[in-house]
Amino acid sequence: MRPLAAVGIAAVAAGFLVAVDRGLASTLDFSWVVVTLIGLLGVIQGVRYASARRGRERRSTDLGEPERRERAAVPGADFDATVARAASARRRRGRAARDDVRSRVRAAAVRTVARERNCSRERAAELVEEGTWTDDRTAAAFLSRSASYPLRDQIRGGLPGRSTFRIGVTAAVDALERATTGIDAGGQRVPGRSETDDGTGGSE
Amino acid sequence: MTAAERDRVDPATTAASEPDEVVGGDGDPASTDDGTSPAATDREDGGDAARDSPTERRALRAFDTGRWVGVTGVALTLVGIGIALRQPGTVLVGAAAVGYGLYARLGEADEAELAVEREVSDRTPDPGDAVTVTVRARNVGDAPCLDLRLVDGVPPGLEVVAGPARVATALRSGASVTFSYAVRASRGDHEWGTIRAVVRNAAGSRERLTELETPTRLTCTPELAAGGELPLRGLTTVSHGRVPTDVGGSGVEFYATREYRRGDPLKRVDWNRRARTGELATLELREERAATVVLLVDAREPAYVAARPDADTAVEASVEAAGAVFTALLAGGDRVGIAAMSPRDCWLPPGAGTDHAVRGRETLATNPALAPTPSEDRFYRTLWRRRFRRRLPGDAQVLFFTPLVDDVPVDTARRLDAYGHLVTVLSPDPTASASRSTATPGRRLAAVERRERIRTLRGAGIRVVEWGDRSFAAAVAGANGRWSR
Repeated sequence: MRPLAAVGIAAVAAGFLVAVDRGLASTLDFSWVVVTLIGLLGVIQGVRYASARRGRERRSTDLGEPERRERAAVPGADFDATVARAASARRRRGRAARDDVRSRVRAAAVRTVARERNCSRERAAELVEEGTWTDDRTAAAFLSRSASYPLRDQIRGGLPGRSTFRIGVTAAVDALERATTGIDAGGQRVPGRSETDDGTGGSE
Repeated sequence: MTAAERDRVDPATTAASEPDEVVGGDGDPASTDDGTSPAATDREDGGDAARDSPTERRALRAFDTGRWVGVTGVALTLVGIGIALRQPGTVLVGAAAVGYGLYARLGEADEAELAVEREVSDRTPDPGDAVTVTVRARNVGDAPCLDLRLVDGVPPGLEVVAGPARVATALRSGASVTFSYAVRASRGDHEWGTIRAVVRNAAGSRERLTELETPTRLTCTPELAAGGELPLRGLTTVSHGRVPTDVGGSGVEFYATREYRRGDPLKRVDWNRRARTGELATLELREERAATVVLLVDAREPAYVAARPDADTAVEASVEAAGAVFTALLAGGDRVGIAAMSPRDCWLPPGAGTDHAVRGRETLATNPALAPTPSEDRFYRTLWRRRFRRRLPGDAQVLFFTPLVDDVPVDTARRLDAYGHLVTVLSPDPTASASRSTATPGRRLAAVERRERIRTLRGAGIRVVEWGDRSFAAAVAGANGRWSR
């Protein structure tokens, strides 16, 4: 940069000298080629300067929105965010997120199964692993290594914008909800369950 | 805006109703006229500038906004094209663009040397009241602020209901600007943050942020709702009260009869039996005793959840319910204390009486541990438990208000139960949603997990009352019917 700056300073100094002493101007060559070259140099330099604009964000202080009350966290929002990350990410990058989601759903399933079937946590973990804890094959496949998704879900998950993982999460949470409330996603009561199991009942 | 609100906004009324408050400004009648519109700004000449010393401030470094980046490039390109094509007009246009390039480099964004005052129409409003906040800023520096933006640091727990809490203007030296807005008061001790002033130079190419310290405090203490009669469990003190015991003695409810012993009061002799059989027997009545109760509110960061992002948090619901229980228990003659499960310390020892009621109301309203927004400090579970256990009287029952969104409260409740304190968990439900089908998997999983926690507690013999959409009193009334003593 230094030599370029020196050239620039010399050029400006020469310009001033010419402005002071017109006689010096006669020594310069004002041929068509030279003038055009000077003009083109200006254009190139100008475009270079102007292109500094590209890729440069305009900065300003972010003043935020103090007028709004601080937003409260919504239960489960973090889980939904992890599911979205896991479902959209490519195979390898989404693995950690998928594992997070699976382990949280599995923990809830083991707890529920252990209480529902009145068995130990270890036995419940086995049932979940085998996929025999629920009638829903999709939900079972989501938490099991041995069970596989039904063909229908594999086809649905293969469609653009859909993912088998997301279908599995929804099915597993549905199955858990049925198990804990006795009410399925459509709001229908699952037959053969008592009133006190809907969470509002219960007694000492 | 209603006429009533307009009246509140008028600083003239404010000054009349709050004589102890410092009325800012220079007493120019023009300023009172303009105050009727909440977002109005007015500029006036400084009267006695000597009185105005600049507000304590902290200025950041000025930085380039990048607003005029490339303008010299445009100028040079135009000049170059003009020369190459022998077009004097284009060269002239380029020369004008050079002017813009110089303009962008002209001037620096100075620190905002402002004297700022903030007034609130009511420092101790009731919840739901609209409180008018008026901010007046005067440029006490020598240089004019050519482009000034002021944003007030509204407390995070308050919501602005009328007018933006900001203004954009230019202030020459000695001039002042006033803007006002209204906030809806909600429970808590709210403190305003710094006013942020952004100053730019004339071209807007440089910018600097200045933070101005103007502390203002607003305390909103709700009246405690008279609560539902909450059934306490049978652990009592020796003082007379309202918790029925399994001890016979003096009371109102029949407990048993026994053989007459000399010295028994005549009015407790079972005269019907005497008439029937000729034997003397004494009626024993169920003794009612007072209990010592500690209301424990879960105010850790995870407890600040709500069913919708703009709704009141579970902590808010817990505090409201705790207020209702506090009044009900005190009225029943029990000794009631308040504690918070929070990174900050909050402990009101159990007590009774009118001054205790006032202290309890203040604790629930303004204690920093129960603030409307979560504390940034870390919560150390073990330390907190140790301290809480040390303070908790041995015969105290614990009413534990928690949304049960994680496992810590379950663990805590079971430990307290194991230490011999009777625990009742009262849980606002933040996972309740309007429609089952629209709830996301996350929301439904959170509900499933919470339900499992409640079952775990109930399985351990701990009473749980939960309330979501219905009111706390209704939930308690429903639970009352279910519980056997």
